[in-house]
Amino acid sequence: MDQLLDQARSIWEGEIDFEGQRLADLLTYALLSLSGAIAFLVGFSTQDIYQTLYIGLGGTALTFLAVVPPWPFYNQHPLPWLQARETGRVALGTLGLEGISVEVDGQRVS
Amino acid sequence: MHNNLTRIQNVFGFFTSVAFAVAAVIAVSVVLSAQSPSASLQLRNVQVVKGRPHYYSTKREEYAHVKFDLDAGIIHPPPLHCPPNHSLIPLHLDLSTLFNWNTKQIFAYITASYPSSDPSTIPRSEAIIWDAVIPATNAPAHPNTYIHPPLSQSNARPKTKADRLAAQKPYPPGKEPGILKLASQKPKYQINDVSGRIAERANATLTLHWNVQPWVGALVWDSRGTLGRWQGLSGGMAGFDFPALKGTEVKKEELRTETGGERNRGSPA
Repeated sequence: MDQLLDQARSIWEGEIDFEGQRLADLLTYALLSLSGAIAFLVGFSTQDIYQTLYIGLGGTALTFLAVVPPWPFYNQHPLPWLQARETGRVALGTLGLEGISVEVDGQRVS
Repeated sequence: MHNNLTRIQNVFGFFTSVAFAVAAVIAVSVVLSAQSPSASLQLRNVQVVKGRPHYYSTKREEYAHVKFDLDAGIIHPPPLHCPPNHSLIPLHLDLSTLFNWNTKQIFAYITASYPSSDPSTIPRSEAIIWDAVIPATNAPAHPNTYIHPPLSQSNARPKTKADRLAAQKPYPPGKEPGILKLASQKPKYQINDVSGRIAERANATLTLHWNVQPWVGALVWDSRGTLGRWQGLSGGMAGFDFPALKGTEVKKEELRTETGGERNRGSPA
């Protein structure tokens, strides 16, 4: 059940890694600016404002399709979580915190 | 940009910025398109009658019924004082160059303006006697679109379907939006003065004006001066005097006004 929920959450969130986010940012600005520029130039040369409208809206729809869904090429540089580590005398020793005792609700934890 | 929602928000946010920037450039780009409007406006007839000009009041006032000819193309220098009942040669109105890619429609109107009895304290009066909404060819149709009257009696009853369609346009058949050829055009509105007396007022002027309504950008009104590629209007003015009150009986048919689309509550006249 947990795993199913996790999968559903992942689909809903659509996470991408940091390199992918940078790429998504770049694509947003590039695609939208380009579609705006082309829309104006085509409309001005044909003297038809409907061309500007259609090309502009079409370019925006294309940008939404290219940027919003978490495509695989946005996940080429994943950063895996570190392994879980034990907290015990040895671990505390490596951290240099040997003398510390951690107590929760009156009971010593480590 | 780490999840779908932020990416949607970012893309939409930049889309609105781009749309606004493109609209601003479109609005400014109209400066590059050349304009050369021309018009010839002549007074056909003016009658001043005493009666009830307003439905909301029983007060009897003098009101004026001004008929005119409107055309563009050949410009005749208008005579400064035309006596009433003088029939003049109608010519053409050409506003077609005002239609650029950013023009949605043009509101053309004709005003009669006259000085007051005391120019130092009372300002000049200006009243619209006729107007028309002329949409561009690619603008969506709406009920208040002007329908150009047929040029001749034979064109009044179109036979073929193509002729019927051409007769419903805001311009004569075969022309383009902005061309108007009106002869002995009845006014849409009968004008009266706030004092109730409009008879025998001198130095009145009939003037053509227009308002270009764009898809995006600023509204632009008519001008007489030239600005870059935009030439001012030449012609389109006619001087006259309001005559004396009509003593003899005036036929009701003579005082009929032009009923536009708005009179018929949306359906074209």
